[in-house]
Amino acid sequence: MSRKRQSESVRRAGRSLVAAVMLFFFSAFLLLALRDNAWQGYALAAAVPAMVWLGTYLLPRLIGGDRLLLSLTNFLCALGVLVLYDTNPAYAYHQVIAYGVGLAAMTLCIRAVQWFSSWRLLILLMAPVSLVLLALPLVFGREIYGARNWLFVGGISVQPSEIVKISLLIILARAMSRRRFWFWSLFVVACLGLLMLQKDLGTALLYFSVALLMYYAATGSLWVLAAGAAGGTGAALLGYRMFAHVKRRVAIWRNPWADYDNAGYQLVQGLMAIASGGLWGVGLGLGSPRTIPVYHTDFIFAVICEQFGLIFGLCVLAMYVALAWRGATIAMGASHSFHGLLAMGATLMLGLQTFVIIGGVLKLIPLTGVTMPFVSYGGSSLVSSMCLVGLIQGVASRNEDDLAEDTRLALAQEEVGL
Amino acid sequence: MKRQRLRFKLLAVFLFLLFGALAVYGSYSVLTYGNRWFSSIRNPRVRTQREQVIPGDILDTDGVVLASTDPEGNRRYAEDPAVRRALVHLVGDRQGHVSNGVETFQTSYLYGFQASLLDQVGDLLAGNARTGDSVQLTVSAPLTAALADAFRQHETTAGKPAAAVILNWKTGAVAALTSLPSFDPEDIGGTVDAGDKAFWNRVTQARIPPGSTFKIVTAASALDHLPQAREVTVTCSTDVLDFGGHTIGDYGGEAHGTVDLRSAFTQSCNKMFATLAMNLGAGDLRQTAEQFGFNDNFLFRDLVVENSSFPERIGSDYELAACGFGQSSITATPLHLCMIAAGVANGGVMMEPRLLQRVTSASGSQRLGFSSAEYRTCMSPETAALLGEYMRGAVTGGTGWRAAVPGLTVCGKTGTADSTDGGEPIVYGWFAGYIADEELPYAIAVVVEGLDSGTTGGSTAALVAHDAFLWLRDHRPDAP
Repeated sequence: MSRKRQSESVRRAGRSLVAAVMLFFFSAFLLLALRDNAWQGYALAAAVPAMVWLGTYLLPRLIGGDRLLLSLTNFLCALGVLVLYDTNPAYAYHQVIAYGVGLAAMTLCIRAVQWFSSWRLLILLMAPVSLVLLALPLVFGREIYGARNWLFVGGISVQPSEIVKISLLIILARAMSRRRFWFWSLFVVACLGLLMLQKDLGTALLYFSVALLMYYAATGSLWVLAAGAAGGTGAALLGYRMFAHVKRRVAIWRNPWADYDNAGYQLVQGLMAIASGGLWGVGLGLGSPRTIPVYHTDFIFAVICEQFGLIFGLCVLAMYVALAWRGATIAMGASHSFHGLLAMGATLMLGLQTFVIIGGVLKLIPLTGVTMPFVSYGGSSLVSSMCLVGLIQGVASRNEDDLAEDTRLALAQEEVGL
Repeated sequence: MKRQRLRFKLLAVFLFLLFGALAVYGSYSVLTYGNRWFSSIRNPRVRTQREQVIPGDILDTDGVVLASTDPEGNRRYAEDPAVRRALVHLVGDRQGHVSNGVETFQTSYLYGFQASLLDQVGDLLAGNARTGDSVQLTVSAPLTAALADAFRQHETTAGKPAAAVILNWKTGAVAALTSLPSFDPEDIGGTVDAGDKAFWNRVTQARIPPGSTFKIVTAASALDHLPQAREVTVTCSTDVLDFGGHTIGDYGGEAHGTVDLRSAFTQSCNKMFATLAMNLGAGDLRQTAEQFGFNDNFLFRDLVVENSSFPERIGSDYELAACGFGQSSITATPLHLCMIAAGVANGGVMMEPRLLQRVTSASGSQRLGFSSAEYRTCMSPETAALLGEYMRGAVTGGTGWRAAVPGLTVCGKTGTADSTDGGEPIVYGWFAGYIADEELPYAIAVVVEGLDSGTTGGSTAALVAHDAFLWLRDHRPDAP
């Protein structure tokens, strides 16, 4: 009875949270719509809160899922659309569509984890397809910002490395839970090689760290972890020695002000934006976020800090921490090694990617061009990040089923005992 | 599975540590460097705001207007051309030629970035153009003008690049700051192509070998680290100390006879301080220098100051010996040397240099008042008292005698430092000192660049310090 009452109060708190988030986005979009007096703004003021409601309230009722994860994910996605609408409405229209597609893809991922009991066939299919996908931009792609990592299909541009992220995680989780390391480590090396050829070093770094940490999680081998870390450092040093553009990146990181009109321009403009926001921000719709180069992807955190302030920026960081905490808890609650590794891998992927990009913007580490999960402009990135959350959610609902099954069995035994 | 769970927990902790590092580093850097990033002339937000907001006034400690905006929206500087020129490096100019002048560094106040939403709405409703905050500085315009004029009054300093700064040694408030050559912010025209670095604020931006003024630091180090420091004597003849080809002698080949620490300090005997540096070793001397602020990253709230450096690695005995009297690769800004003199006066406690006395919003309410803060304790009160006696000795019967003013207890140390400027040898004359009077607590540092042969810090910079002390004695200002 008390348990029931507790869950009732949790549900009520959840409802008011959803309402508060919806109100926030409704008023924010309304404000911008009044500023621009554009119908698209009013449409978004209705659509985005509706999607937040759909994602955080309706979805768990229909197919289950973790409410906290859903609240965080939807808040961050909607925040991305909001900031993009303020800076460049055209981006926001794309992003809101991607958000819708992302919700569907997330549902699909939850269902997949709930339903599939054997992933064998799927993996045998995914591995070669992934490699082909990664190789395609090298053949057909165009170079953008120094990296050849985009694919153009019809009018839509896709970043294959974002799709491959999902299959890599599933493949790694299965290989590691079944202790089939060698063959699949070759797969990882092949992926890394292709990413290097695309000159997408940030993503390569991300794949490598996640694979290494998942291996450690599965085996507990500190040796391999240390050797991998040493190998990674060695490769980084070698890259630093060999490639002029890596050297340049590091020099910019150490002192962006030395050449603030050219090489350090991005970083310096980002830091100025953050400093201009101060603790409380200049306010939504104000400031000059468009003067930051690549404000819509790499530097979107600087835009958030300028408009909403450093304290809000720290709160956004805290949301990612809560997301990672939830992901790790779900991973720890899994009764199958595969599911645990899948949830943990997805958590690591999201957490590390966030760290790499925000650390780069804040000048804690050299800047590598990866997106800020959920928030940065980019359909591939948004959908793939939501798929990762979907995988974690699928594991969560598996855990619930297992728990219910255990309880049922225990009760049945008790009855037999009586 | 159980162990796997434990490892998941470890990985989660690892992620949290990464995010913790992000949060701590991000907050730290924004809170410490934020205003420096923000007020940068490259910040496009400032440029936009400048078109929309009437910047506030800049006043001196007694309310003399140093900068204001006329009804047509043009920025105007002090009425008196002498004041205008003397303070141009501190106040800055409308185009931002001077980096980090008040005009640029205090942008967040002057251009109303600190104005609350209520103020902004109020202005909007009243139909007023938005006006920024007015900023009152701790500097005294007449004192600074007199200081700048003093350089012109002496044959040995007239026309030379120079810099001088006066601090209140009790509070750290900047009472005067001037850099020569200067220019007129109302008539920049010709200055732009002048190759004499007129836009350069030598007080905060010039990193100059401190020469013998560094003996204050060496003496403090010796008093702290060498138990026999006060008994050591050196016989100083016209011979030079030989370090395998490099020699150390005294200025003009003087001989000081048998000297102890006190007389070596007052006579500025290089051989004594070379010997002390050798006895101390690089480690102890560097430690003391760093206590005085060398190698520190100066992040003062009101002023942007270049860092001073003491060599991280000293390669030879000759270099170490030269460090003893402030040569080798030691550099310091005039402001830092003034802080060191002020630290001696203040019993070993160096104050953070402050410039803002009061910030007032357009509606007249005070946004910020003067506050003083300790920078760091650089030595014990006993050591400071002893050094004070030595510095008094240098003025009453030593190299700094020209700085003495009847009726004031002036203490100080002179210096004559060799350096090169683009391969050309160049000599700097220094004076760093203070008035040992609780009622008139001022410290000064003066540097003159490119001395004529035959002149020293004692016959150039000390003269200017003398004039400044005289002004202070006669006017007795009560600045913060």
